[in-house]
Amino acid sequence: MAYLTRRSVLRGSVALGASRLVAAPHIAKAAATTATVWFAQGFVQDEDVALRKAVADYEKASGNKIELSIIPFAPERQKIISAITSGVVPDMVDSNPAEILQLYGWQDKWVDVSDVVDTQRAQFSETALQAAQAYNNVTKKRGVYGVPLRAAVVPCHIWRPLVEKAGFKIEDIPKTWDAYFDFFKKVQDNLRKQGERKVYGLGFQVTASGVDPYNLFSAFLVAYGGQDIVTKDGKVHLDDPKVKQAAIKAAAYLGGAYRDGYVPPSAINWNDADDNNAFHAKLMVMDVDGTLSTEVAVKDKHPEWYYKDIVTHGIGYPNDNAGKPVPSIVGFTNGLIPKGAKNVAVAKEFLKYFIQPKIIGEFVELGLGRWLPVMPSLAKSPFWQNPKDPHLRGYVQQGLLGQTIPDYYVFNPAMAEVRNQQVWSLAMIDVAKEGVKPEAAIEKAFKRIEELFAKYPVA
Amino acid sequence: MLDTASVAGIGRPAIRRGTLSRYLRGSLKGGEYRWAVAFVVPYLAVFLTFVAYPVVYGLWMGSEASLYRELFADPIYQSTVVNTVLYLALGVNVKMFLALLLSGFFMRPGWWMKVLLLIFVLPWAVPQISTFISIHWMLNGEWGFLNNALYTLFHIEGPSWLNDRWMALGAVIVSHIWKWTPFWTLILLAGRMAIPLEIRDTARVDGATGVRGFVHITFPLLANLYLICTLLSTIFLLGDFNAVYFVSGGGPANSTHVLATLGIRDAFDIGNPRLGVAAVMSALPLVIPLVIVLMRKLRTTEVQL
Repeated sequence: MAYLTRRSVLRGSVALGASRLVAAPHIAKAAATTATVWFAQGFVQDEDVALRKAVADYEKASGNKIELSIIPFAPERQKIISAITSGVVPDMVDSNPAEILQLYGWQDKWVDVSDVVDTQRAQFSETALQAAQAYNNVTKKRGVYGVPLRAAVVPCHIWRPLVEKAGFKIEDIPKTWDAYFDFFKKVQDNLRKQGERKVYGLGFQVTASGVDPYNLFSAFLVAYGGQDIVTKDGKVHLDDPKVKQAAIKAAAYLGGAYRDGYVPPSAINWNDADDNNAFHAKLMVMDVDGTLSTEVAVKDKHPEWYYKDIVTHGIGYPNDNAGKPVPSIVGFTNGLIPKGAKNVAVAKEFLKYFIQPKIIGEFVELGLGRWLPVMPSLAKSPFWQNPKDPHLRGYVQQGLLGQTIPDYYVFNPAMAEVRNQQVWSLAMIDVAKEGVKPEAAIEKAFKRIEELFAKYPVA
Repeated sequence: MLDTASVAGIGRPAIRRGTLSRYLRGSLKGGEYRWAVAFVVPYLAVFLTFVAYPVVYGLWMGSEASLYRELFADPIYQSTVVNTVLYLALGVNVKMFLALLLSGFFMRPGWWMKVLLLIFVLPWAVPQISTFISIHWMLNGEWGFLNNALYTLFHIEGPSWLNDRWMALGAVIVSHIWKWTPFWTLILLAGRMAIPLEIRDTARVDGATGVRGFVHITFPLLANLYLICTLLSTIFLLGDFNAVYFVSGGGPANSTHVLATLGIRDAFDIGNPRLGVAAVMSALPLVIPLVIVLMRKLRTTEVQL
């Protein structure tokens, strides 16, 4: 019979600890400690279930405790900003809104998490790694303050039955930018001839509310050659004639489509959800709107809409007018650790665990594909490559495998103010409603952008 | 050795402490004073924590001059101030005047009047956010209830109600009036019911009925209550965020923001809470006189309701 001795107990403990470390390489065995984590509520319940599962698995493996608060999107945003302002912060938050990474990174409010990102650096997409950075105005350097968790891009959503009712086929849709969007004007004209009183060709968010109009304008700006409006060094290039021409063309096309009656009149005062509602009501033939929420929202109730009637076109955006591919601007959710957090070690450990490809991949997939993964290897999974799903392959191609760039506020937080003060929207509305010439509208917008960038001088 | 001045200097604080202590004690003695302190301390702690601290913190947050330079440089600030003034002037006065008239109507006898009153207060009783969102949808130009009803019943193509600054602001003001008139009607109704019956009977005997009775008897007696309600409503409305945010969303083109919604936008959309506080603080020149007038009215000793 074997007797327990002090040495055998010690040996056993060491062996047990080592085996756990081998089994879960990212979890250092430490004394159980607690970290507070805030995360935005998912669009579908499955997202929250997936997050809770990941947290429970981590707790089981590490012995640490995560106090998880899942909070609706808008209240969480206010809670995070209030916490950072007051200095009483949780140990980890998601970047809600996305630009707080850069806005508060500028003020040196985040803990550097490059050691966390390094554990999966080879896995992340280049765009995700760029978007995890922010310029710190205290250290006068860029740093890695975000851990990429998931991403989103802005696809086009099209009603196949309306296109067909107008006498066209989806295959008839041209492949270059202006021709692509002009096509839907023809669809509207044909539908009107058939007596459709209230169907519009284009669901452009020519509004000054939410993030949709900024995303829409940015897509057009890039397609018209204005991609370098803000470069990686954080400098704004409003004096670049190419940028100026692209902005004028974007304001002219988007505002002009509204003025000419191809966009629902109420679009001028839509909020973030109104275009989804209008699209589902078949008020317009196509919509340019972020994420697959338009499709995911109807998957259970109207599977025929999801699988047959709504088309996301598979290829992402059309090519530019010269026939070259147009990169898509990708937005990211990052994990952030505020300075002043009580348990940075556990927060970092949790993030290291959470971004393991298997775990973060499962988390994103359980959200029904509304969010994209941030690692190209995850796009090969059966979920994203499911041949029976008409949307997911195209979505992951557009936002992860195809040409992508991060949003401009990544390079300079002034662009977050441009977005939130709706500078592009006002230019579009000036053209659409007030009869202002696109050149004058952009002149006014550029003046405001210059003022906002003056607040954020990047060394 | 101490000189006279030093002795006087040393003695002075002791005298002050004694005076203060006597002042605080008043006529209370021994245990009574300790009980008084025990009762006052919790109130004082709550007051300091939940009233004084947030106010001082708010003042501190909005105390930098640069914030106001940034605020005034915002292209929409001026129109926001105009909207706020219009919202207050029309929203409060139309609502209070309607409430005054309706409170007279609801003084009429009869069981059906009670039923009508019950229906009338429903807009006030239902949750405001969902009703304002419903109004936003109802006013949608293409698929809203109002325009569809107009087309179905009269073949009229209604306008896009929320696409024009003045129509959108009008929609916000009407929504506010619809929501809050019942509440102030009830308050003024209670005020009317508190007018002694003898006064009204005497006036009636003297021929003061109908409009004359209202002008010479009812309104003078209600005037103080009406003014206090108007001032309170103005202060409440200045901080009101819901009607604008959910009915017009501050649009079109940021043209219907009021200071409360601008403050929220600056604090949480732009991520600059100090600027948000400054936006709200810029209303102080209006709020402080209102509060002073309100306090003076509440101290009045005249025989009024």
